Amino acid sequence: MFDKQKNDCYTKAHKTKESVVKSIHSRLLFFISQSAECTLWEYQTKESFAESFFSADDSFNILQGVEIMKKKTIISLFLCAALTLSMAGCGNSESGSGDSGEDTVKVGILYSATGSMAISEGAVKDAEVLAIDQINEAGGILGKQIEYIEEDGASEPSTFATKAEKLVDQDKVKTVFGCWTSASRKAVKPVFEDYGNLLWYPVQYEGMESSPNIIYTGAAPNQQIVPAIDYLIEQGYKKFFLLGSDYVFPRTANMIINAQCKAKGVEVVGEEYAQMDQTDFSSIISKIEAAQPDVIINTLNGTGNLSFFKQMNEKNYTSDDYMTMSFSIAEEEVKTIGADILKGHMVSWNYYMTTDTPENKEFVKAYQDAYGSDRVTSDPAEAAYDAVYLWKAAVEKAGSFEPEDVIAAVEAGGITFDAPEGTVEIDGENHHLIKPVRIGVIGADGQITTVKETEPVVPDPYLESYDWAVEANIQPLE
Amino acid sequence: MRIKNKGYHICFAIIVVLLILAPLLLSAGVITSSSFILFLGKCIAFSIVAIGLDLIWGYTGILSLGHGLYFALGGYAMAMFLKLQTTNGRIVSFMQTGGMTELPAVWRPFLHMGPAMVLVILGPAVLSGVIGFFIFRNRIKGVYFSIISQALTWAAYSLFTGLQSYTGGNVGITEITSLLGSIKGDANRGKMFLLFYISVAILVLIYILSSFLTQTKFGKLLIAIRDGENRTYFSGYCVSRYKNFVYVLSAVFAAIAGAIFVNFNGSITPAQMTISYSITMVIWVAVGGRGTLVGAVLGAFLINLCDYNFSSGTMVEIWQYILGAIFVVTILFFKGGLVGIVRDQLPVWMKKVTRKEAE
Repeated sequence: MFDKQKNDCYTKAHKTKESVVKSIHSRLLFFISQSAECTLWEYQTKESFAESFFSADDSFNILQGVEIMKKKTIISLFLCAALTLSMAGCGNSESGSGDSGEDTVKVGILYSATGSMAISEGAVKDAEVLAIDQINEAGGILGKQIEYIEEDGASEPSTFATKAEKLVDQDKVKTVFGCWTSASRKAVKPVFEDYGNLLWYPVQYEGMESSPNIIYTGAAPNQQIVPAIDYLIEQGYKKFFLLGSDYVFPRTANMIINAQCKAKGVEVVGEEYAQMDQTDFSSIISKIEAAQPDVIINTLNGTGNLSFFKQMNEKNYTSDDYMTMSFSIAEEEVKTIGADILKGHMVSWNYYMTTDTPENKEFVKAYQDAYGSDRVTSDPAEAAYDAVYLWKAAVEKAGSFEPEDVIAAVEAGGITFDAPEGTVEIDGENHHLIKPVRIGVIGADGQITTVKETEPVVPDPYLESYDWAVEANIQPLE
Repeated sequence: MRIKNKGYHICFAIIVVLLILAPLLLSAGVITSSSFILFLGKCIAFSIVAIGLDLIWGYTGILSLGHGLYFALGGYAMAMFLKLQTTNGRIVSFMQTGGMTELPAVWRPFLHMGPAMVLVILGPAVLSGVIGFFIFRNRIKGVYFSIISQALTWAAYSLFTGLQSYTGGNVGITEITSLLGSIKGDANRGKMFLLFYISVAILVLIYILSSFLTQTKFGKLLIAIRDGENRTYFSGYCVSRYKNFVYVLSAVFAAIAGAIFVNFNGSITPAQMTISYSITMVIWVAVGGRGTLVGAVLGAFLINLCDYNFSSGTMVEIWQYILGAIFVVTILFFKGGLVGIVRDQLPVWMKKVTRKEAE
């Protein structure tokens, strides 16, 4: 009977193997289950049946008791030794990192090296490492070299929180550069507030936030979304269609756009949300066809963009048929989606690789020299690069590396940096950057050319200076 | 029988003693950062899920790849209560973003501590009870059960990210303090230690309950179901009822763990509900050693401690591969996990060595 069962076990397993899709994930599942079943078998043949309730032979076990006890004591000793060693390992690494040399200052870099966000966040991290290397080469800050500690957030907000805490509390870093998604930023925010440390967040986001312990070097909504919509209205676009991925940035962005369109008297003819990893856009495209908008306001994220534009292309729609204005497509994304598909479409950022400043020429050259000539720079990477230099400026003004002194220096105002995008300044009140806005058109070569450039715009994360926004009551409650 | 488990209990006791010593070591300055204690607190939560998983997988032979669901449900219930504490019962910002003006009915029970704490346990218990009832009554087992448990987790994940105005979507519920108020920073060290010791106590209680259960007739029946389900049927036991009970029990353990986790972590996101997170939990148990309880606890601690220490600096990109390799090697060669190595392999090696010496 056992043999038959064993065979069944294996044939069943093999059948399953064939039917399971050839993805790594399913293979892992198979792996676990097979081993589970096979181990079951081992248990069966060994001793566990004797121990289970079918057996009444307790005396057998008691006789063996002494020997078993010895064995078990060895187990416990060994396992505990392992645990103690691993804990001791922690202790060592702590004390090791605790006594840093006199001539270096430690900062943290917190991005995802693994998981779905690894590619986007990697480019930003590279820009920051480049800035740190440049500063070190030029003699450091206040005579100290910057030493950076890299942590992996693994594309998961709670890991970000754990790692932020580790950097701030255990590694005693003076500041942290990090986070890309709003989810991760919101997860680490209380950590920085509780420990009184400082985070530099380099990505454009949905606004409605202003923490004393975060400097936002990306665009606030009024430095990206609002001017873009204004530009479109200026250009005579009248029917807007809002398309986004289903998460906090598109939702909030569209809330703002709805209020703005209503106030400016243009019509929003549709609002659709795709799942984060949706690949089939046929139903959304048919809704767009039915609504006949002049322009699609696109807040999809990476993978969604790829599928959406590919499927629009398959239907032979170009920017002449449906113009799009995207807030999450930069040079990096143009490279993945393809310039032939995206040519003619519009985007809104503060910086493009083509931005014509002497600082940018140097930045692009340094970036490509360090990471390869096929790499492109983008708005988030540039904002991250600025963050490091702005921190340097703030530290030098404060004359101290301590986060509270740096924050005080920032809030006193006047921290500027001649960035690749033009001179930027930290607004001491809301911790965002005063920076110019650029509306761009994607060219056939994959580069984005500026069609409209504004003077530096003062950041307004809560949109308090816009009457229509105040009227629509899009301030958060807290 | 009693004697047999003595080694496991000693091992668990040593882990507990180490945990109890940790805050004292912090005060003495041996451990330099209080965030490490917070991290150990999360590990306690993880080891509680692991105990639940060990009961259902190691003892009963049901491989659930969806316990992240119950972990997150418990976590969300706790987080909803804690969030309303911080907003004083007013609506949360993401609800306002979603166009709501007053607190949705789903959130109402979480205004007060009593109902909220009941729901932390009751919610996952009822859900797992209903799901288990249908699955086990239809005698779905093996790989098919694993696939269903994964699908359920995926469905719940989509639901939670989709209902943004109720759950906070991908961001989840953030910016919350613990049950005892803020536990971060040096000023709140007392509260942190208290919360930590409460968690240790819960871990000990759950371990005692579980190891008691495994030594009773009920525990023997679980092993019987694992080793010969048909035989148990023919002996006149209603297998599906036992399976359902242990499924609910492990779900409740996961929910309690989730609630503890939120207190230490200060946020909960749907990431805790993903399939990969659920599989990670299974890896803890597999590496530690199945069917021993202490193996699960040990696995949860060791894997997370390694994760905490290795996933930074130069190890960032390599760590995931190492973890994968550890798992594969464990599954292929050391089916009993760490505990198994010491229990089964080590004595054999030692015997070989001593025999050689004798020769």
